[in-house]
Amino acid sequence: MLPDEIIAQLISEFQCRDQHIQYLAALYTAHLPSPSFLNVHGLTATGKSSILRSYFHLSGIPHAMINVRECVTARHLLERVVASSLDALDEHHDEKIDRRPYARTENLSALCVNLAKLLEGRGKFVLVLDAVDKLREAGGTLIAALGRLGESIPNLSLILTTTLPLPPSSLHHPSTPTLSFPPYTRPQLLAILTHNPPKTFLTAPSAEDSPDYTPDLAAEDDAWLWSRFISAVFDSLSKHTGRDLLSFRSCCMKLWRPFVEPVMSGQFGTRDFSRLIINRRHLFQLEDSVLDRIINTGETPTTNPLEPSTPSKKRIARTPAHALPFYTTHLLIAAYLASYNPSRTDITYFMKHTDKRKNRRRTTNTVANATKARKISRHLLTPSPFPLDRLLAIFRALLDGSVPQVADVYTQIATLTSLRLLVRAGAGSNDALEGGGRWRVGFGWEYVRALGRSVNLEVGEYLVGGVD
Amino acid sequence: MNLRRRKNERQSVSERANTTHTRNYPSDFRSTATCGRSKKSASDAVQQKIVDFISTATSSPDEPKFAIPAGLIVAGPSIASHGPFFQRLGQNIKDETNSAYVVLTSGESPNLKTLLKNLIKKVTSHVEDDDDDDLDRPASSRHGPKLLNYDLGHVQEWRKKNRVASIVIAFQDSEAFDAGLLADIVDLFNSWLDRLPFVLLFGIATSAESFEDRLAGRSLRYLEGEKFDVTQSDDIIEKIFSATVASTASRLHVGPNLCRRMLDRQKDHVQNVQDFCDGLKYAYMSHFYASYPTIFLRNGLAFEDLPAEAFEAARNLPSFRRLVEDKLEDGRPGNVRQLLESDQHLFQQITKSMETGQHALSTLSHAAQVLFSIRASLQISPSIRLSSMWTRAAAGDMVGSPILRETMLSIKKISSDKFVDLLAALSSLHGDFFNMDLDTLQQELNSLIEKNDTSAPLRTQHDVRNDSLRTTVVAQKVLLSKHKAALSEQDRAYSDLVGRFHDQLEEYFESAFIDPQSIFLSEVLIYDLKSPHTEVFQPKPRFAIERALATPHDYLGCDCCSGVDGNEAALAATQPATAIVYQMYVESGALINVSDLWSAFNAIAGDGEEDNEPKTMALFQRALAELKYIGLVKPSRKKTDHVSKIMWKGL
Repeated sequence: MLPDEIIAQLISEFQCRDQHIQYLAALYTAHLPSPSFLNVHGLTATGKSSILRSYFHLSGIPHAMINVRECVTARHLLERVVASSLDALDEHHDEKIDRRPYARTENLSALCVNLAKLLEGRGKFVLVLDAVDKLREAGGTLIAALGRLGESIPNLSLILTTTLPLPPSSLHHPSTPTLSFPPYTRPQLLAILTHNPPKTFLTAPSAEDSPDYTPDLAAEDDAWLWSRFISAVFDSLSKHTGRDLLSFRSCCMKLWRPFVEPVMSGQFGTRDFSRLIINRRHLFQLEDSVLDRIINTGETPTTNPLEPSTPSKKRIARTPAHALPFYTTHLLIAAYLASYNPSRTDITYFMKHTDKRKNRRRTTNTVANATKARKISRHLLTPSPFPLDRLLAIFRALLDGSVPQVADVYTQIATLTSLRLLVRAGAGSNDALEGGGRWRVGFGWEYVRALGRSVNLEVGEYLVGGVD
Repeated sequence: MNLRRRKNERQSVSERANTTHTRNYPSDFRSTATCGRSKKSASDAVQQKIVDFISTATSSPDEPKFAIPAGLIVAGPSIASHGPFFQRLGQNIKDETNSAYVVLTSGESPNLKTLLKNLIKKVTSHVEDDDDDDLDRPASSRHGPKLLNYDLGHVQEWRKKNRVASIVIAFQDSEAFDAGLLADIVDLFNSWLDRLPFVLLFGIATSAESFEDRLAGRSLRYLEGEKFDVTQSDDIIEKIFSATVASTASRLHVGPNLCRRMLDRQKDHVQNVQDFCDGLKYAYMSHFYASYPTIFLRNGLAFEDLPAEAFEAARNLPSFRRLVEDKLEDGRPGNVRQLLESDQHLFQQITKSMETGQHALSTLSHAAQVLFSIRASLQISPSIRLSSMWTRAAAGDMVGSPILRETMLSIKKISSDKFVDLLAALSSLHGDFFNMDLDTLQQELNSLIEKNDTSAPLRTQHDVRNDSLRTTVVAQKVLLSKHKAALSEQDRAYSDLVGRFHDQLEEYFESAFIDPQSIFLSEVLIYDLKSPHTEVFQPKPRFAIERALATPHDYLGCDCCSGVDGNEAALAATQPATAIVYQMYVESGALINVSDLWSAFNAIAGDGEEDNEPKTMALFQRALAELKYIGLVKPSRKKTDHVSKIMWKGL
């Protein structure tokens, strides 16, 4: 394919990236020399990888592209570089290279030797390492060494893509060529999304009901409504929460169905945008659509579409889905109190007998107090570690009557540890129940309040400083 | 149909047992099998849903996916039962969908590399059995670059040979996995998703929300799925209970005290179905192993099979003594003499009372079932679980109890529409152990309802709506008087019918709810011993150590340690050194001055002579070292010459 054709095709495929495609075409052509190293950088969802992949695929230059995310160690990356270079050359030249000399690539020098051997006497070869900054267990010199591969192997061109530009310090090189993919601007984002509007009506209205409503007309209406809808979504939500293409698109897709619901039910016409947006304004006020969730609950249909519901700030209460056994619940509450109360206040809160002198609970802060010493509420701080016996002591103080000293209590502590509701503080031994260890809770105030209420115990009463 | 099959299975099991064993344990076998089956049936619906989810997720393998299908299985806090659950789930998934199934636990995956190695090993070894030419594969090291052993390329290669529709990976205890590891693995799987069709299942003990909270938004974006709630373990236990303990088919009954203990433990300490089943099995086992007369529980026993010791053992049972005393009171000493002297006679007596005892106990179980279904059908609140109702009945305090009285009173007030439902519910329980004449009642009721021309249901005379209050003012005092409204002809007939039903039912309950302890051979028919059960299932390690150290006399039982002047708590030189130091330890504060401790020890254990002091010192040092070994003290840096106390007695 001719360079101009490639450019034309890529531009039609990737909008708003004309300039970058031109650059790539200028740098990497089949016959002209190419830079030995290029750092392509840009934030997520800016089209780096896709454009590179498509360009090299179309241009017919022998190349190998490696997704560094899939590599677990640096060794893994090196092995894959050699393996996929072999594959790429095999495929490009339609031959079978003898692979025996390339059996092992343990380190960078082996890579250097192997690649030099492999590319000796061949034409230009492009190696793309995608997301090279995402490599786990990367050594400090890996990127610098990779950057200099081109010096020893003249026909290798290396492209590293990263999120942020590689600094000269990490490359040990004062100047390296870079190609920046800036994030899309608002007009660009809107232009990309307008390209492919979803349908308003999942099933086209039957011909009898609306004989004039042709598919062409429907497509025109969809495009009209969609373009206004996405700019509204961008201005209200995505501008502040996620400006990249992916989250913007997913947000629009999540909101589109509930947005056009009144149109589908026939309440508004397809071009009643202003009335529609007022009717559906709660969609733009809630944050549900911009939060990532595993479970798609789906928008619950409002009972009365004429009455726009006000956005409710109420969050789903963090109640445990499965009721815990009675003593386990108390153990968790005791652990929370041990973590958030200073140990010197234990006498005040948990002594069974009343000692007038000591047993005076601090009253909740008055307004004057609060302004004088502005303190962060305790339950907003990180939990502090406590020894196991303190937990057990508070546990016994919380319960009326005695609890037998059975091993079940320890079983429960071990179970809660494996659920990460209790966490061993500090890198200690492996034994969860070894004496002398310190512990910490792994849950928050809302959870413990719900737990306490399930056993008729108001945890706030035992918490130092109280909770508003 | 299902029930019948189950029965047949049971019979075949016990038959097999009959032929192979000299002493068979029919209840044991049956109940164990039933435990498993009830557990299975309880979680079947959820498992089916998960399997459906997987098959829909993999229905279009060629379509590019942007997120990994993920099932969040909220399996509850009893993590011990997660293992069997995922095992069964794997079987179902493999049977019904074309998938590879791998379970990963947190223990075997401390980091990404190990996790991947394990994963690859498990996935690829699934078919090694039916793929023998695996060995012919060229040893790749000689032929070119070899994949590292944590490269998912192995799985890809494997999949080329075995076209599976999906690779299901279950994280059995997702909470225990490191959050960073989970994020890494999700990221990795997502980038492989175009080549390997992964489906992830996460076993969650707390809640799906807290699982989502642990992952970053990026990882969440790569996952998309559904939540599955596994049946609560209380419900499963209830099912197991009614299939084993409260079943009319069981020959050995677990007694009320033990039942209450086991159920309370489930409620208070552990929610663990496995544990409950183990408890039941242990109860059956200890009954049969520890008690000789249980040999009489065997079906079809002949006199010749039995040794004389069995009869001797039976004669030593308290219930035998009771039987004898009753007979003497009745004035039948001849009969008693026969029982005491002739084994043959005793055998006949035992076989007979075994049968009647079984029947009585089964009737009791069934009556509890009947009472439960009456309450369920009348929707009397508070709803009481069958297990607690059965336990009360088995303890013999059901007759005259508030539950029974309340139920009977509400039966008196029942209206005809509810009565129809009740009869329908009861007719399913009709059988050997509940033989009230329901059909006649049903017919009479039907004819009454047919005659009823109003839309309102028929009401009895006890119904509140038939009462009216009348106030009369006599000499400036208000008198309230209740009056029965005049009953219509039909209502009167209906009241009659309900009254008869009520009387019959009351009679039935009175005959059924006996005190099980009163029947002859109740020791054989019922196992209700607390002792081995508590020690085995609820040991008290800390208590035992503290007690041994605080009062060594309890364990040593020697004369020398019994205390000074009858005071057991007093320290004495004859006690073990560790015990002496421990008792001083208990009395001290959080920081202990070792020098003080030594002088106190020397005052008790030493004999005041200077020459013997090194000996005492050695004892003291060993005692302190032992306390440190147990984990009671540790060296402190807060103060010189002090150790800190880290365990308090009685916690």
